[in-house]
Amino acid sequence: MANVVLKNVQKIYPHGSRENKKEQKKKAKSGAVQEQQKNQPVVTQDGVIAVHDFNLEIADNEFIVLVGPSGCGKSTTLRMIAGLEEITSGELYIDGRLVNDVAPKDRDIAMVFQSYALYPHMTVYKNMAFGLELRKEKPEIIDQKVREAAEILDITHYLDRLPKALSGGQRQRVAIGRAIVRDPKVFLMDEPLSNLDAKLRNQMRAEIIKLRQRIKTTFVYVTHDQTEAMTLGDRIVIMKDGFIMQVGTPQEVFDRPENLFVAAFIGSPQMNFFPAELVLEDGKYLARISGVDFPLGADLQSGLSQKKVQAGPIILGIRPEHLTLCDSATTEPHLKATVEVCEMMGSTLHLHAKVAQNEVVLAVNSVDLPPEHRYGFKPGEEVNFSFNGNLPHLFGPDEQNLIYA
Amino acid sequence: MLPKAALKRSRALRRRETITAYLFLLPSLFFFLAFVIVPMGIALVTSFFNHTMESFEFVGLANYKELFSDPVFLRSLKNTALIVLVAVPTVTAFSLWVASAIYELAAGLRSFFRIIFYLPVVTGTVAVTVVWKWMFNQYYGFFNYGLKSLGLIEKNISWLGDERYAIWCIILILFTTSIGQPIVLYVAALGNVDKSLIEAAEVDGANRRQVFWKIKWPSIMPTTLYILVITTINSFQCFALIQLLTSGGPNNSTSTVMYYIYYQVFRLYRYGYANAMGIILAIIIALFSALQFKLTKSGKAA
Repeated sequence: MANVVLKNVQKIYPHGSRENKKEQKKKAKSGAVQEQQKNQPVVTQDGVIAVHDFNLEIADNEFIVLVGPSGCGKSTTLRMIAGLEEITSGELYIDGRLVNDVAPKDRDIAMVFQSYALYPHMTVYKNMAFGLELRKEKPEIIDQKVREAAEILDITHYLDRLPKALSGGQRQRVAIGRAIVRDPKVFLMDEPLSNLDAKLRNQMRAEIIKLRQRIKTTFVYVTHDQTEAMTLGDRIVIMKDGFIMQVGTPQEVFDRPENLFVAAFIGSPQMNFFPAELVLEDGKYLARISGVDFPLGADLQSGLSQKKVQAGPIILGIRPEHLTLCDSATTEPHLKATVEVCEMMGSTLHLHAKVAQNEVVLAVNSVDLPPEHRYGFKPGEEVNFSFNGNLPHLFGPDEQNLIYA
Repeated sequence: MLPKAALKRSRALRRRETITAYLFLLPSLFFFLAFVIVPMGIALVTSFFNHTMESFEFVGLANYKELFSDPVFLRSLKNTALIVLVAVPTVTAFSLWVASAIYELAAGLRSFFRIIFYLPVVTGTVAVTVVWKWMFNQYYGFFNYGLKSLGLIEKNISWLGDERYAIWCIILILFTTSIGQPIVLYVAALGNVDKSLIEAAEVDGANRRQVFWKIKWPSIMPTTLYILVITTINSFQCFALIQLLTSGGPNNSTSTVMYYIYYQVFRLYRYGYANAMGIILAIIIALFSALQFKLTKSGKAA
């Protein structure tokens, strides 16, 4: 129902606030200027920076997923949109209105909390009606809306119960119902599925997709689970240490991860990375891994030559499902690996193997397996694999970003 | 199905565990019986006797009949009711107000306030009362001095010697010594209210007042109930203050049931009569507590 725009939004927890005191002390102890550690929030003179210079335009009716490991600032960003967390600097617009200093109650948003946050002393009906009652809505309208939402979520039978008499999945539905009845401009969800067991989580995920088709509104959804992000989001925002690493559709971030972090974060099993050498021979680029030269595909060739990329060390990333087993007698370039663990997943087989010093994971379709390996490989067995020259992702060794665009 | 031997063994095991449990309970059970249950029984029995230093004869309900025509007892009952009806609501309301004002302060400041309000509780009643007695003194007391310098009164007031003021002085002291614990309890209870509930309510559109009354207040209801009960019992049993400040006077205007019981036992040695009063007081306290339980329970469900 509304677009949301975040402009240079920053969140800094100032020093002196309780949770930072310890960290400050630690810093003081460990000496003066210290190199910024990886996976640590940036600490400056002003305080700990939880979210850096966040810029994002969320379109009307878009489903945006903020995803990243814990401590990456995704929840803080969501809470700033909700108004539960103060914005240190930058501007936040909801439906064209600057809302930095607007109280949560006046932002016309609804939020589903990780802990559900159902009011324990109110029945399910009251829980759902609460927001409308506060807005002095007419009782008939409240009743109609609550019953409608209960119908959608299939919780009509439980309307008279107290939250404590409900199961986790039912509570989750009530929490969503409480948000739906409000017809909010923006629907915020903070890891709503993380307290559910695996089966229920899959079921609720499907329901959220259905729900999303029924109610037209803008969604901002926070999760640490890349599967949820991929399946739910129109666009995904991948964050790390308060920085946006990449914004894009699920397909984009999967096919063209802009940096090593995104490449490793999205996709399961994780992408394989090989230290490699980019070699330029007769105007053709080759990737040399453990002394084996792999020719690169036409798309990569043109991309690299257009940017006039110099030969040199690179990191080559390739997804497990893009590696194919081959015969040791083949004349094509291939690598030899020793199987360490073999996981049968049903339709696919995950082979954890070792190539020189590197771990590599291959995801092989079980129907493609040769008959003698129908039921997997034994540890210690040798396998040979290769890949299509168009599929690798090439990252610079230092800045760890894609080296061609 | 379990074989019989196993069943037998488990039963023997359970019996042994039960015996152990009772053995652990035994010491406290002994003291509870000897010093709570037995005296209660004796009190109930002797309340039907004319039990004094020299006589011990069964008189049936005569003690109870006499009570309700005893003007001092009726006055004491009235004073007790006044103390309870004034002290309990004001103590609860004031401590809730203080607690909600201080519970979100920085830890150090919060502790400071908690200490201030808790000091009268940990200080001995006698010491506190002596200080108050000095402050209420007609000739050199702090209150008379203060009010006179402000020009609010012309003549010194005998706070504790005047029927109009004495009971209110008692209530004031009772108030200051009663708020400490409720404040500490409320600070803890408010701090324990689930933060996400408050945030959910804010997002749902509640302002500060609505968040307090619709979310926090129901969440701290169990604490409120506990505070109501202990403050009520405390107020009913107010004794040391009265004994030290006014001894029930002037003209029984500060006598309470508790004090009158003491007076009958230790001044007039009328044990049976005093026990009858004790029984009445116990019944009243029980009724009050039950009523509070019921009211707060129904308030919680609504």
